[in-house]
Amino acid sequence: MYKLFKIMSLVAVTALATSCSGPGEAHQYDVNDLEFSMEGPLFAGPNSAQVQISIDLEDLLQDTYVEGMEVSDAVLLSATVRPNDTLGFDNINSVVLSFASDNEDVEMQEVAYKNPIDANAAMSELEIASDLDLGELMDEGRVYVVLDADLMEDYWDGNRDFKLDFSLELTIK
Amino acid sequence: MIRKITLWAVAAIITFGTLSFVLPEQEKTQDPADRIIGIWEPSNGRSRIKIDRIGNKFYGRVVWLIEPNDADGNPRLDINNPNPELRNAPLRGFRMLKDFVYQGDDTWEEGTLYDPNNGSTYNGIIKMRDNNTLDMRGFIGVEALGRTDVWKRLKMPSRKKK
Repeated sequence: MYKLFKIMSLVAVTALATSCSGPGEAHQYDVNDLEFSMEGPLFAGPNSAQVQISIDLEDLLQDTYVEGMEVSDAVLLSATVRPNDTLGFDNINSVVLSFASDNEDVEMQEVAYKNPIDANAAMSELEIASDLDLGELMDEGRVYVVLDADLMEDYWDGNRDFKLDFSLELTIK
Repeated sequence: MIRKITLWAVAAIITFGTLSFVLPEQEKTQDPADRIIGIWEPSNGRSRIKIDRIGNKFYGRVVWLIEPNDADGNPRLDINNPNPELRNAPLRGFRMLKDFVYQGDDTWEEGTLYDPNNGSTYNGIIKMRDNNTLDMRGFIGVEALGRTDVWKRLKMPSRKKK
């Protein structure tokens, strides 16, 4: 009898734990016109620019936001880069997009790239590493968005400026 | 006499005025964590890695390769990346050092080292021997079973007019 009671208790605890860790609700989170400036002098090879963003769940969910909600999963849906100066993608070989955070336990992730990039294009849709789970990174709230552009030219004295749009699917619970 | 005092006063104002502009900048560059920032060459001399800072962590990108192109003359790609979707990413520019945090005592830890030759990622510890020498230790699991490579700092390329 005691054994049966013990088994039933275990089943009840497992069911409770499962219901608490439910799948959560998916929301699209768009970031538009994020400006990056790679400050010259720039040399041939990869040049980098970073912008810090805040993932504001309260702003995203409005009235449905409940204190303590967190991002359990996140997937990058799309990312588009476009030049923010008159130079376009001239002399740019490729671009790579990464996300990072200050948390020592959360690793930087390369999430998208374009290689090669069309020098005459007005914008470039990046290829997404779709199977990456960015939930831990996005749950940090403050995320560094890092854009690397590989420059063909040996030396460039000025800046190169770009704008980035990207969409995430955040699962929130 | 008055003229002499005035001259001293002007000199003092200029000196301390200048210092007040200069000191905060010097203090900024004195963060010991930032001493690792720069371009470094591993012992085999086949690549150069630029270490820079994002937030409170340090990262290193491949900025130069002795063989930048493959046998077909195309830029080398990260063909051994365990994530198939990233195998078309260019090797030049790849971040092979990630997430190192300064621990004090000229040591950076908690980061990883990626070897593009086999697509493996190792735990890493960086110790700065002197301002121009790094001991870069990579290991899986137990630090004692790792391997250390010595990296030398390179000077930035000299500026030339376009």
